[in-house]
Amino acid sequence: MTQEETIKTQTDITPTETLDCSGLLCPLPVYKAAIVLGRLDHGDTLRLITTDPGALEDIPAMARQRGDALLDMTKAKDHQEFLLKKGGAS
Amino acid sequence: MTSTTEHRLESDLGLRRYDDIRGLLPDITNPTPLVRLNRVEAATRLETYLKLEWMSPFGSIKDRIARFLLDGLAERDQLAGQHVVEASSGNTAIALAAIGALEGLEVTATVPEGVPEEKKIILRMLGAEVWETPDDLCPVDHPKDGAIALARSLVASDANLVMANQYENLDNVKAHYETTGPEVWAQTEGRVRWFITGLGTTGTVTGVGRFLKERDDSIQVIGVEPQPGHRIPGMKNFAEAKEPGIADWSVVDEIIRVDDDPAYETTKKLWREEALMVGPSTGAVIAAIDQLDTTPDEMAVAISADSGLKYTSFFKDILGDEGIPQI
Repeated sequence: MTQEETIKTQTDITPTETLDCSGLLCPLPVYKAAIVLGRLDHGDTLRLITTDPGALEDIPAMARQRGDALLDMTKAKDHQEFLLKKGGAS
Repeated sequence: MTSTTEHRLESDLGLRRYDDIRGLLPDITNPTPLVRLNRVEAATRLETYLKLEWMSPFGSIKDRIARFLLDGLAERDQLAGQHVVEASSGNTAIALAAIGALEGLEVTATVPEGVPEEKKIILRMLGAEVWETPDDLCPVDHPKDGAIALARSLVASDANLVMANQYENLDNVKAHYETTGPEVWAQTEGRVRWFITGLGTTGTVTGVGRFLKERDDSIQVIGVEPQPGHRIPGMKNFAEAKEPGIADWSVVDEIIRVDDDPAYETTKKLWREEALMVGPSTGAVIAAIDQLDTTPDEMAVAISADSGLKYTSFFKDILGDEGIPQI
C-alpha cells in the first residue's frame, strides 16, 4: 500500500457533511473540523479532507479529546481523509 | 467667503488638539501618566509610581507596539494584502484593529480561550474577525500556544495575510526601547531604581530594561510571572507557554512569580484605596513588590498595562455577593 493506505476503516458510510481543508496547515483543519462537529447532531458524520501530514496526528488526538469516533482514516500520496462520528467514541 | 479648509486648525499637543486619534499615541512628547501610589501597602514600602498605559487612545500598553509593528511591516513591504493576523490576548489585536480601521487594514485576531468577552466584542466592534482558540486545539503541540499556532497556520495558508507576530518581531522591543523606556527615565528624572512589569510577550521588559540598563546598569529590572494555570489575561507563565523569541533575559535581574489570589486582591485594593481602575495584571505587578528587597527611599516604576474595564466579567466572579445588599 504505497500510494494509498487505509489506516483504520470501519464501514461505508455516507457522511452527513464534508469539509475540504486542502492547502490548510495544522491546526487550521482541526479548528474548522471542531466547529463543524460542534454544529452537527450527535451521531452525525463528517468526512474531512486534509493535505497537511500533521493532520494524521492532530485529527485522531482531537477526536479522542472531544469524544468523537474516528471511523476511517486514509493516507493517500497527496492528501488524507478522515471519517469522524460526533460523540461516537466508545 | 473663506473655505472650511482655510479655517482648519493645526494639530497642537499643548492644546491637546489632534488631527485624528493616532495623534494621542504615546511617546516622549506625549507620555502616559506616572501616578504615585500612596495607600496600597505593598507599593508604599518604597516610592512607587504606576505608569498608566491604559490612558492611551486604544486603552492599553499595546497601542505603542501596534504602531511599530505596522510601520515595520510597511517598511518591509509586507502589507500588500492589507490583511494582518495576530495571536493576541486581546489588546494588541484591539490596537491593530483600531489603527487598521484608519488605515484600511483588515485584522484577524486569534485569541486564547478564556479571553474576556469584553475584548472579543471590542474587536468585533472595530471590524476585526475573532477566532477563539480552544486550549485543546493543538492536542499534540503546546496547548497554551494554540492561538499562535492558529495565526501561523492562517498566514501559511493564504499569501494575502501577514502576521504581526508580537512574540518574535523585534519592532515590539523597539517600541518600548524608543518610547516607554525614555518616558520612564525622563518622568522620574533619572531617579528610578526599580522597574517592574508583567511578562507576556516580554517586549516591555526587554525594551525598557535595555534602555534603562544603558543609562544605569544598577537599576533593577523585574519581570512578574503568573503561576501555571493562572487566570491573568495578558501574562504568560513560560513553564506552560513557549518563551518568546524577542526575550532578552540579560536585562532582567529577577523574575517574581505571583499567585492569582494576591494579584486579584491587590487589584481590588488599587481600585478601592487608590481609585485606580486597573486590570488584573497590574494587581500582579504591585503584589510582586512584597517579594522584593527594597528600601523606603528608593523609587519604583510599575507598569499598569491595562485598565480594568475590559475585565468586569472576571471581577464579577471574584466579587461574589460583595456589594449586593443581603436582605
